[in-house]
Amino acid sequence: MKPRAAAEILETADDSLLDLVDNLLTRGVVVSGEVVLGLAGVDLIYLRLQAILCAADRVSGERHRRP
Amino acid sequence: MTRVYLYALLSGPPACEAGVGVCAEPLRLVAVAGLVALVGDVAEPPTPSALTLRAQDTVLRRLAAGIDAILPVRFGTLVANDAALAEALAPRRPQLARALGRVAGCEQMTLRVWGEAAPAVSFESAGGGPGTRYLDARRRAHERARSVPELDPLRRRLGGLVREERAERHDRPPLLATVQHLVERGACGRYVEEVDSARAALAPWRVSVSGPWLPYAFGEEAA
Repeated sequence: MKPRAAAEILETADDSLLDLVDNLLTRGVVVSGEVVLGLAGVDLIYLRLQAILCAADRVSGERHRRP
Repeated sequence: MTRVYLYALLSGPPACEAGVGVCAEPLRLVAVAGLVALVGDVAEPPTPSALTLRAQDTVLRRLAAGIDAILPVRFGTLVANDAALAEALAPRRPQLARALGRVAGCEQMTLRVWGEAAPAVSFESAGGGPGTRYLDARRRAHERARSVPELDPLRRRLGGLVREERAERHDRPPLLATVQHLVERGACGRYVEEVDSARAALAPWRVSVSGPWLPYAFGEEAA
């Protein structure tokens, strides 16, 4: 993943987008082939996603949301 | 030269037209190894961004409404052509078919468990030699990574609503764990009501809920 794309996702993230990133980039059936996102890049995104989720929780407290 | 971008595996042809994909390419269905794959032919794969992630989710949600089961494939999956797709899927046909059966008629709800400190972990030593103790510690760590006992009061309430659960501990306060539940379509409203009514019983842990989502977290065993 290009760093700029990752930043775009995470810096403009709202609640549902964070879940979208989690679902589409770190879950789903993995099929061997040419995956455009390297594993290291996905791991990095996931770590940053967790960090942002934590930060969001500190700001907004208990949340109840729907996408 | 185009390549095949793989979106999802389906239980059968959708009720509606396949439509277009993230790159505005016409989508098509490929029957392969007894499975139905939803694919598009693209010159370049979509670059991951907020727009393309939302677009891919929207494409799949539209089709999911007209079929019994859908297994989303990880964003960005490309193969050279239909033959390469068949080669990739054929060895895993039994697992993929089971996964499709598992998610039939269901959608995913996601819970995140929050708290200021991870619960303390204590357990008795397994005894024996250093090798035994090492392996026992590894086993316990593996079990703990998929265990979220903080949600037990909620699990009792959710009872019949949840068909399956996936859990992952983070133990990075305040985010302690993420749990996905497979819930029958149409039951998500009752699911949210049960979560809301369990909040007091879950204290001091806090829970946030999102969904319904396509069953993104329930195809991983097929990998």
